[in-house]
Amino acid sequence: MAAWSCRFLLQRGTRLISLRAAAESPVQLVGCVRTYMRKNEPWQRHEWTEGSRRVGLVAVKLGMAPIWTTTGERHVVTMLQVQDCHVIKYLPKEEYDGCTAALIVGGKNVSPFYRSESELEMFRNAGVPPKQKVTTFKVSDNALIKPGTPLYAAHFRPGQYVDVTAKSIGKGFQGVMKRWGFKGQPATHGQTKTHRRPGASGPGGDPAKVFKGKKMPGKMGNTYITAHGLKIWRVNTKHNVLYVHGSVPGHRNCLLKVRDTALPTRSSTLLNPPFPTYFSEEEADLDEDLYDDNLFFHTEPSLTLT
Amino acid sequence: MTPRDKTRFCAHGFRTNSHATTGRSDMAACVKGLDKFTFSLRLIRNLQLQNERYLSTSLCRSAPESNADPPRFIPPSKPVIIDKTQPEASKRKFLSPEFIPPRQRTDPVKFSMERKDMIRRRKVLDIPEFYVGSILAVTMADPNASGKVNRFVGICIQRGGKGLGATFVLRNIINNQGVEICYEVYSPRIQKIEVLKLEKRLDDNLMYLRDALPEYSTVDPDMKPVNYSHTGEVPVNKIKVRMRPKPWSKRWERPNFDIQGIRFDLCLTPEQMAHAQKWAKPWEEYDMLKEYDTSQLEKEIFLEVQQEMNK
Repeated sequence: MAAWSCRFLLQRGTRLISLRAAAESPVQLVGCVRTYMRKNEPWQRHEWTEGSRRVGLVAVKLGMAPIWTTTGERHVVTMLQVQDCHVIKYLPKEEYDGCTAALIVGGKNVSPFYRSESELEMFRNAGVPPKQKVTTFKVSDNALIKPGTPLYAAHFRPGQYVDVTAKSIGKGFQGVMKRWGFKGQPATHGQTKTHRRPGASGPGGDPAKVFKGKKMPGKMGNTYITAHGLKIWRVNTKHNVLYVHGSVPGHRNCLLKVRDTALPTRSSTLLNPPFPTYFSEEEADLDEDLYDDNLFFHTEPSLTLT
Repeated sequence: MTPRDKTRFCAHGFRTNSHATTGRSDMAACVKGLDKFTFSLRLIRNLQLQNERYLSTSLCRSAPESNADPPRFIPPSKPVIIDKTQPEASKRKFLSPEFIPPRQRTDPVKFSMERKDMIRRRKVLDIPEFYVGSILAVTMADPNASGKVNRFVGICIQRGGKGLGATFVLRNIINNQGVEICYEVYSPRIQKIEVLKLEKRLDDNLMYLRDALPEYSTVDPDMKPVNYSHTGEVPVNKIKVRMRPKPWSKRWERPNFDIQGIRFDLCLTPEQMAHAQKWAKPWEEYDMLKEYDTSQLEKEIFLEVQQEMNK
């Protein structure tokens, strides 16, 4: 109840105060809303602690390329470009799920003419152009970021592991062999019109039914799939491109959600990350390309294996 | 100052003044743009390789490459002109095929980033110009080889892939065993690529050498490099290869392969050739959706690559 009234007051306040006006009279907020809800002041920054979760990014899948390590092994990487990633909204934990706070982050800029008014209002409040993909990231309380902050690829560093979520390529209505990997039936030896069919659908008279969740033909793909534990080999700060190990779900130019890994064995690689995110005004002295230690970069002379 | 010294002096990229070219007023008609030439280091290195011969002033075109009488030393009687009649523009323009991006719905940023990496690698390792049909020698680092390097000489039968993953396949017959090795052009294990003989063939893909007589795929591993010029056209070897009896690994007579370099008259009857033409697709040449005109792209990419390499 209190949260609703605070939100109402905040909305009224944003309509009254223009974005460009200085914060002469900060909006009087009631109850549970914290002091950093003031319009034009930066939010407080905290240090990284064990167990804190920071925000992720929305990236575009560009394509794949080969890379080589210093020992001469060849791996493939996917290039993900972070295009116009902004934090759009902050959801305190009471609004989100009662446990953790969340930050809504948006990806690529798109035209405002094909977006509904409610969405456009959200973007207007944050002061960002309308975005194509809008996702929520669960975030711990010390990693909150003010809505409107841009997020860059340098948020992730080489050597770190990430999880990438995207909608897989849609294959349409597919049969059981392609969708579930059934073996089908032989091509010859008397098979009558049965080569790719599912065969039996369950046990016999005792259940006398087909169990729920039986693997059958249906629409395949176009669902959200997460690839876990992908290493970041290289970060290009000029074009905001991440080079991520292996393959990633989705077609070229699709939008993906990139987060720090949830895998416990890889959490040790996340030591002193830019927390809560990488701010270009402060850390302006990063090289154009950040490489992992084991990565061979092409300006070095050819390898001599010993 | 001897003419030879003048060459070396010039090799460092200084422009000579016209006062150095005395006594050649009669050659003035032949020699163009005397004050405006620029020296190319590579050309001079190449010239030095060509038995230290200098371009004769009476020839305005590229020097003849005959090594017919090596011991005969031709002393340059007149002051040497190196490449003055051949400004940079007449050097053969070659853009490696892996630079041209395929026809895809990919963001051009991805191709430009890959191109930057490719150029960085090319600045470290000299990847020469070569075509399918040229004879190459590749030295690669190998942990299992003695001396840790591995040199393979072979004829290039295929160039595939785009971007950093570009590959080429070298074929040779060693101890009566045909060997094909597929190398990645930008792999860091490759330490040296030498072109022993630069030539083109009638086809872009010489996979049919697998079904040809072994003499056409044998290359001497200790072959010496044959000198080639960097100007003018690449020599085309119009050889037509004799094949082993059928069956072949692929039906090379079919029009989808479009092979010019096989002597079909020796291995197939005219009826078989006519039968193979049943698989012809004469409409493909008029299919507008399959058109991919890369001429504009090639020009832009060539300029970009040239600028970056000269930096």
